[in-house]
Amino acid sequence: MIRIISLEALIIGLVAWLVPACVSAQEMRPESVLVLDQSDLRGPFYYQLWSGLRAAIEAPAHARVTVYGENLDLTRFGGTAYEESLKRHLKEKYRDMPIGIVVAIGPATLEHVLRWRAELWPGIPIVFAMLDETDLTKVGRPADVTGVITRNTLADAVKGARAVVAGLDTVALVGDAWDRQVLFSHWDDEIVTATSGLKVIDLVGQKMSDIRKQVAQLPERSVIVYTALFSDGEGTFYPPATALGMIAEKANGPIVVGAEALLAPGGIGGYVLVGSEIGAEAANVALRILDGERPESIPPVVSAAKPMFNWLQMQRWNVSESSLPEGSEIRFRQPTFLERYRWQSMAIAAALLVQAGLIMFLLHERHMRRNAEIESRMRMTELAHVNRQATTGELSSSIAHELNQPLGSILTNAETAEIILKSDHPDIGEIREILADIKRDDQRAGEVIRRLRAFLKRTPFETRDIDLNEVMNEAFKFMSVQATARNVALYLQTAPGALRIKGDPIQLQQVVLNLVVNSMDAMAAIPYGRTVIGRTERNGGNTVEISISDSGPGIPPDKLAQVFDPFYTTKDQGMGIGLSIARTIILAHKGQIWAENQNGGGAAFHFTLPLAA
Amino acid sequence: MPGRIHVVDDDASFRTAIERRLKLAGYQVATYTSAQQLLDCPPDESEPACILLDVQIPGLSGPELQGRLNELGSILPIVFLSGHADTPTTVRTIKAGAEDFLTKPVESEQLLGAIERALARHSTVRGERQRLEEMRALVAALTPRERQVFSLVVRGRLNKQIAHELGTTERTIKAHRQQVMEKMKVQSLAELVKLAERLGLLG
Repeated sequence: MIRIISLEALIIGLVAWLVPACVSAQEMRPESVLVLDQSDLRGPFYYQLWSGLRAAIEAPAHARVTVYGENLDLTRFGGTAYEESLKRHLKEKYRDMPIGIVVAIGPATLEHVLRWRAELWPGIPIVFAMLDETDLTKVGRPADVTGVITRNTLADAVKGARAVVAGLDTVALVGDAWDRQVLFSHWDDEIVTATSGLKVIDLVGQKMSDIRKQVAQLPERSVIVYTALFSDGEGTFYPPATALGMIAEKANGPIVVGAEALLAPGGIGGYVLVGSEIGAEAANVALRILDGERPESIPPVVSAAKPMFNWLQMQRWNVSESSLPEGSEIRFRQPTFLERYRWQSMAIAAALLVQAGLIMFLLHERHMRRNAEIESRMRMTELAHVNRQATTGELSSSIAHELNQPLGSILTNAETAEIILKSDHPDIGEIREILADIKRDDQRAGEVIRRLRAFLKRTPFETRDIDLNEVMNEAFKFMSVQATARNVALYLQTAPGALRIKGDPIQLQQVVLNLVVNSMDAMAAIPYGRTVIGRTERNGGNTVEISISDSGPGIPPDKLAQVFDPFYTTKDQGMGIGLSIARTIILAHKGQIWAENQNGGGAAFHFTLPLAA
Repeated sequence: MPGRIHVVDDDASFRTAIERRLKLAGYQVATYTSAQQLLDCPPDESEPACILLDVQIPGLSGPELQGRLNELGSILPIVFLSGHADTPTTVRTIKAGAEDFLTKPVESEQLLGAIERALARHSTVRGERQRLEEMRALVAALTPRERQVFSLVVRGRLNKQIAHELGTTERTIKAHRQQVMEKMKVQSLAELVKLAERLGLLG
């Protein structure tokens, strides 16, 4: 008996000892959290919420905390029996597991937890999540209860809709019956105020098959505002994300959604709640309590919907980024080509740039060279002209001769005619003959003047088909008088037939004149036997070779290369441009020119020109 | 003075004009297109004639033709006609005996004057030459002994000296001398000496 008494006393003592211990246990809470979720875990929103919560609790700083999780699945199941079984199940399951904090997700869960609290988790603080302000007012503010309030309004959803459709006209509301909604049930009361000025097509609570038909034929400038749809209304349940995908397939306008998890399955976005953030905030509140803060001192945290949009859908509905509300976040942005292939693009751009630069440089170079060529050709023309004027001195005797020849005939003929006319019986036939002769000689004199003018005219370099033999003949004829005066024998041997080339006859004549004058000058000092021989020969089928050789003293071998240099001269009065101009002209005719000494004495100048094809 | 004018010019038009003019002035005209053509058929020097020669002709030039004719002993006076005044050529041709050097275009008066002078000179030279020929013929008609006496007499030797030199008598020399005077158709010793000089026998 004593033993019984003592046992009882022992029990009482133990209890008495334990009570303060219980109180102190309240102060030192077990490091464990029981998370009760209203939904199942199939939908992405709850999954994100759960992950956010888990990630925050299990962060390294709180690695000691144990997390238990239960899905009450209250959206699909209910009734007293089910609730009783749930309570029993939880009671049995966690009988030996000390729980520090109960996290209740969803208003229905909180309701149940508060109901079960006295029996299952007396004195244990409760942290709620996914309740809006309306839900909270319904439950009041029991002791040791705090958590996260979500704030999302239909007005924000309409604001999002206006952002994605300019001149928004119609809003189609799609979702399960408002009273079945968890996050959006309070929107029912907002409809009138939030959608004022807009047409509203209310598809709330309709069957999926009807909704799919309706959304395909919405009027222009419409937006679908999708809350959540948990079943097709014909017995099939699915997460709201799956339902959205089915609607998006058919919709003929963008779909504004209220949860971030609904962006991926086809929502264009809007003001959305972010599951992982709500979870993380709930976890933070729980951890603060575990760390010793009193629940009463922690006011409910607000997690508001934030503007967030789906880039892919924006592209589909042609929504520009600038029309979105300020501070909007854009998800699923496809990197542009440049963003994706940044280095490759830069390399290609650099290569193109370098190439373009090179092309520009080459074009510039070509332009400069062309200008230089034109410039040099102009200079050559000018210099050649000056040189021809200088040559006129050499030619003056020949010009005088050629002019005086016809003038002499004219004078003589005219005088003859005068005498005939003075006679008693003038011979009219003879007079006629004389006049014809005078006329012809006059034309001859005119022709001499014309040729001289052509020779002295400053004409631009121009090539035409000419006979090189003719050019040589004319040049030698020009020089014949001068040659006689200087006691030089001038011979010309031309190749048979015409030598057709493309060239400027005046300039080629000038080359020949310069070479002949040069030869005659070279022979000025020798007493007799002054001879200049010109020769034209076919050089194979493609070129013609012209040579001017003399019987002078020749060129000193070390000067053979220099004779064509400008201002190289051995004469007292020479400018040294005659041969250099000859070379310039021949090069412009795509020919070659060179000087050599003949075996038998005397110098020989040669040049070749391409025959016309 | 009538005469034949040999015109050498490569310019057909000028040849025609000159031929026309000269014929009108009463001359006979022969034309040649080149110097070579004239050399191929040499003009008759016995009739009054002259050459009107262009300086500037292809092939053999005017001055070159002049040189050839001089070498051949032609006495035809040459009037040069040039397309232009060219001092070295003028000097060269005048030195070589040209009658005149005219520049085209030439007035008829000037040309005809030059031709007239040339013809006159030709006739003078021709007359002189003819006389010279005659004198040479006279000299040729002398016997060798008479030639000896003639050559010594014109050198101023006395009959006695000549006789001594030739190894004969003064009387014989006197007869030879008489014979020479007669054959040479001269009246005085002075005339004989002058004749000998012209024939170039004194020297």
